[in-house]
Amino acid sequence: MNILTILLLFTTLLLTRVSGLKTAVRIIGVQSFMLALACTAVGIDTGEVQIYVAALLTIIIKAGFLPYVLMNIVSTLQQERENHPILNINYSAVTACIAIVLSYGLIDRALPGAGSRDALATAVAMTLIGLLLIITRRQAVMQIMGMITMENGIYLVGLSAAKGFPLIIELGVFFDVLVAVMVLGILTYRLKLSGMSTDTSRLKKLKG
Amino acid sequence: MGDLLFLALFLPILTGLVSIFQPQKVSIAIVNLTGSILTSSSLVAIVYKITMEGAFSYKMLYVDHLSAVLLSIVAVLSFTSMLFSISYMEKELANGHITFEMLHRYYVLFNLLIFTMISVLIVGNLGLMWVAVEATTLASAFLVAFYFNHSALEAAWKYVMVCTVGICLALLGTTLLYYAQVSVVGSDFQALSWLELKKMSPDLDPTIVKLAFVFILIGYGTKVGLAPMHTWLPDAHSQAPSPISALLSGVVLSCAVYAIMRNLIVVQAVINHEFLQYLLIGFGVLSIAIAIPFILVQHDLKRLLAYSSVEHMGIVILGIGIGTPLAIYGALLHVINHAIAKSALFYMAGVITQEYQTKHIARIRGLVSTMPFVGTLFIIAILAITGTPPFGIFISKFIIIGAAFSSGRVLLGSGVLLLLAGIFAGMMYYCLSMAFGSKPKYRASSVSIGKPALMAMAISVGLIIVTGLYVPTWLDDMLTMAASIVMGG
Repeated sequence: MNILTILLLFTTLLLTRVSGLKTAVRIIGVQSFMLALACTAVGIDTGEVQIYVAALLTIIIKAGFLPYVLMNIVSTLQQERENHPILNINYSAVTACIAIVLSYGLIDRALPGAGSRDALATAVAMTLIGLLLIITRRQAVMQIMGMITMENGIYLVGLSAAKGFPLIIELGVFFDVLVAVMVLGILTYRLKLSGMSTDTSRLKKLKG
Repeated sequence: MGDLLFLALFLPILTGLVSIFQPQKVSIAIVNLTGSILTSSSLVAIVYKITMEGAFSYKMLYVDHLSAVLLSIVAVLSFTSMLFSISYMEKELANGHITFEMLHRYYVLFNLLIFTMISVLIVGNLGLMWVAVEATTLASAFLVAFYFNHSALEAAWKYVMVCTVGICLALLGTTLLYYAQVSVVGSDFQALSWLELKKMSPDLDPTIVKLAFVFILIGYGTKVGLAPMHTWLPDAHSQAPSPISALLSGVVLSCAVYAIMRNLIVVQAVINHEFLQYLLIGFGVLSIAIAIPFILVQHDLKRLLAYSSVEHMGIVILGIGIGTPLAIYGALLHVINHAIAKSALFYMAGVITQEYQTKHIARIRGLVSTMPFVGTLFIIAILAITGTPPFGIFISKFIIIGAAFSSGRVLLGSGVLLLLAGIFAGMMYYCLSMAFGSKPKYRASSVSIGKPALMAMAISVGLIIVTGLYVPTWLDDMLTMAASIVMGG
């Protein structure tokens, strides 16, 4: 479990440093796969069947299907790269490190003695870094990556604090994430199709 | 009762499915209108049964008087906006703004949106409610992006991105709440049911619940359109087709308020009220204040109405924050009144933009002379929404601000009154400049507005006048019961 949390944190930090969209999608795939492994680890600990189901769903949907769909979208977006993020990659990485320290502080103050401290801190850090990516990246696809990271982080909070949600709620959340990413993917594709860049900082027609 | 709930969930889905296979626009209209009438009747039947027999729970479903208040809004608005859609979409088709295939897509998504909104209101579990609230965003995403032009795509992107991030924070809050529950009872099948959570509230850890509620309020607050998380709202409401703007403003925002109230019921039993009140009142007043400059200087008719929604949601949250039974009664009544009045205004905005081919306020002149009926209704509805007597919104604003004074918050009450005066000035200025003035010369003199659209507007305006003159006993009882449920009774 400890190795998995380190790897999860590593993939998340890596995400703050990439500018190629394809690389970012691959990293998200790996990150979701790590999450599924963490899920399985918790399943072995507690021996509950529903956690294995959740792990399986994570592998199929988040590590398989979504990266596949996003890869298809990205390959239609030639020449789109995250060249000049609002916060450049070095500062992003530093901010991400600060986020990790903050997460430990938050966990120690708010949830002292809650199960696995490291896993929880990692989870909160992932949520914060996901949010950071959404705020500081211009490319639509990078913002989607941020959203998935954030969602993975929240999932890890549930997993490490409360051993996962009941299955029916879990299924609903999976379905929503799946549809949300699909909707955002289609919107990205449509942006490209209508002859515009997928650089979201150019979306500033509606004001006032 | 259980059957009725399943029926209300099943009917919109069925309507959507059947309407896909209709080859003509007349049959699409008939199928959807029939479906909408049946859905609304089943909702009315549910509301009636709740007022007679009280709360009902069945497995994961749960309804009580609070759900009934919101369900009655869905019943009215889903019907009127379907009525209006028929005329509106026919005209869009005739004007060449949309193709016939898009008509199918519109009605399928419309019914899906109705389905998700009903599910928010009848599930008995905070986790599933989260799923349903997120589903309302996703179902309406392609309705906001409906025309797929530059502005619509921009609006939809902001809408989905901002609301999904917001709602992710609500999921984090819900997860924390679940953790608080699990650390008391362990993971059993009653997870996140609010009845169970409320029963065990003395045992829940206050620190975690407090943290959870902050996330939940910010999360669902984004969906309510509370400042400063309101940025998606004017874009989405101005770019969506008008009947959808009416639904977004009237029902989707109200559903998010409902989600906040459900969480609040659990949370206020655990942590002290003062913290919650400051939080809610703060967000409420900020939302009212932030709407003012955008209402005073506005160029777009539908954005004007959207910012007015931000203001009204601020008033509702303020009412909930004041937290006396009277204030909550007022807030719930305000949710109903706002939904009806704002939907009427969005219908009129739809007719006006189709007729003048523009949303620019400066280019809309002489409404009363070009469209006497709609123009008159428009003035009435603007008077109603700004809170002039004798309309319903005056009553509910009066109750909320009266409650602020009687609970000893004189400064708050008078401050909000001043802010409302500013909003009144802005709204009236633009309303009068649009309603009167010489009518543009280049326009043809004959104006044809479909009968269904006229009916939709007339029903809404009629209702807003009725609720202003008197509140029927059953509604009064329902609101009193709902207010006591929110108070934790």
